[in-house]
Amino acid sequence: MDKRWKRWLLVVIGAALLLLFEGRPAYAMHIMEGFLPPLWAAFWFVVTLPFWVIGLRQINRLIAEKPETRLLLGLAGAFTFVLSALKIPSVTGSSSHPTGTGLGTILFGPMVMSVLGTIVLLFQALLLAHGGLTTLGANAFSMAVVGPLVAWGIWKGLKDRAPVWVTVFLAAALANLSTYVVTSVQLALAYPDAVGGFAASFVKFGTIFAVTQIPLAISEGILTVLIFNALQTNAETELQTLGVLKGA
Amino acid sequence: MHIIDRYAYSNAIRELDPAQKGGLALIALLLCLALNQPAVGLLTLGWMFALNTLWARVPASVFGRALLAEAPFLLLSLVGVAVSVSLSPPLMPAVRIGPLWLGSNAESVALATRLFTRALGCAAALNFLILTTPLLDLIELLRRLRVPETLIDLMSLTYRAIFVLLESLQRMATAQDARLGYAGPWRALRSAGLLGSQLFLDAYRRSQRLQMALESRGLAGPLRVLPLDYRRDRRARWFGAALAASLLLAGAWR
Repeated sequence: MDKRWKRWLLVVIGAALLLLFEGRPAYAMHIMEGFLPPLWAAFWFVVTLPFWVIGLRQINRLIAEKPETRLLLGLAGAFTFVLSALKIPSVTGSSSHPTGTGLGTILFGPMVMSVLGTIVLLFQALLLAHGGLTTLGANAFSMAVVGPLVAWGIWKGLKDRAPVWVTVFLAAALANLSTYVVTSVQLALAYPDAVGGFAASFVKFGTIFAVTQIPLAISEGILTVLIFNALQTNAETELQTLGVLKGA
Repeated sequence: MHIIDRYAYSNAIRELDPAQKGGLALIALLLCLALNQPAVGLLTLGWMFALNTLWARVPASVFGRALLAEAPFLLLSLVGVAVSVSLSPPLMPAVRIGPLWLGSNAESVALATRLFTRALGCAAALNFLILTTPLLDLIELLRRLRVPETLIDLMSLTYRAIFVLLESLQRMATAQDARLGYAGPWRALRSAGLLGSQLFLDAYRRSQRLQMALESRGLAGPLRVLPLDYRRDRRARWFGAALAASLLLAGAWR
């Protein structure tokens, strides 16, 4: 009996390792459809709702002031989605997809990003079968709310105190990293460990996904610095219209 | 992405009212999630597979590939649910790797099995919806459900622009690749950075040109488009009733 369990355990761990080192590009971590129990799925919708309301109000105000914002934000949503389909070489040698939330937040602001990020997540579920509808609240909280808020905090806090590239790198990399940490917390809350409870479960999920997610955060940070540098030389007027370079 | 979008437009029940397809998927999704039993999950998977291949005539391989998209996440997190990690030997069968004990017992394996079947069933329900319904029909459905107009506008603009931008991205990437832009990881990152910035410029300028074009045609306020004519099928109701009844039965029977 005892021996059989051990053998199964090794098979399962082996299969997981195999999946990790398989060549497929790694996506940011979204909780799949049906993985969260109904109560937790509903809970994360309720938590995210205020951010959607604030974001939508801000967008409505922007559109009332400048009608061209409507089209700009529509294209910005498509830009973020397509950016997340971009394959970038990862630090470990395999390749991965960025989330685009760090760059999006620097360009459009965190509250607008809470709405745009949710649209991107919804489209990833509907066009790529990646993520889900019942888990949209949880995924939106980690990628469209916490990620942008972290990026915004770093961008605002460090803007005049550190070189621009350091600020951009930290904003994008930590936004990506916080998305992964929040998702691990969400999984751990829903499925606490049989022995160690929430804390052990958090460490467990964090470790399992760290192999793909930490290199992903670093490469997204580097990529965002490179994009931002190129934008500063090629798209100065556009950036000024968006208000990124105001006073800088 | 193109594959799902292509079958959404070309399957046999594409003309069907999105409310009917959405209703079917929602019944399957909610029952599968709420009943939370392996039998229900597998039955949902079977139902959705049958509706997809027999009713909508989407090839089985496409359905399978859409389901496989989530395999890495599913398997990795199932390991997280099934295996317990501790620093001291736990009260369950365990193996030792360095200072860590990896253990598992019948209970956590049962939880992982339930989770596996539930997630498969729910993902199959979602895939049924997205493989049979074009995104524009889903947006139209959301409009009928009184989702704020700004959000509807942003979604339809995003959907229309995604494929334009994707094509422009692919063209630029091919040009870079032909000039050895992706030889070596560092150069590949630089090329990706340039690509991202040009893509942003492309999106920005397109939005300005679109604004100009629409304004000259008298755009004021939200973009209104005419909904398509949808067909309603009485069979959808029977399928819905049979689906709900069989799932509830499977849930009651242990």
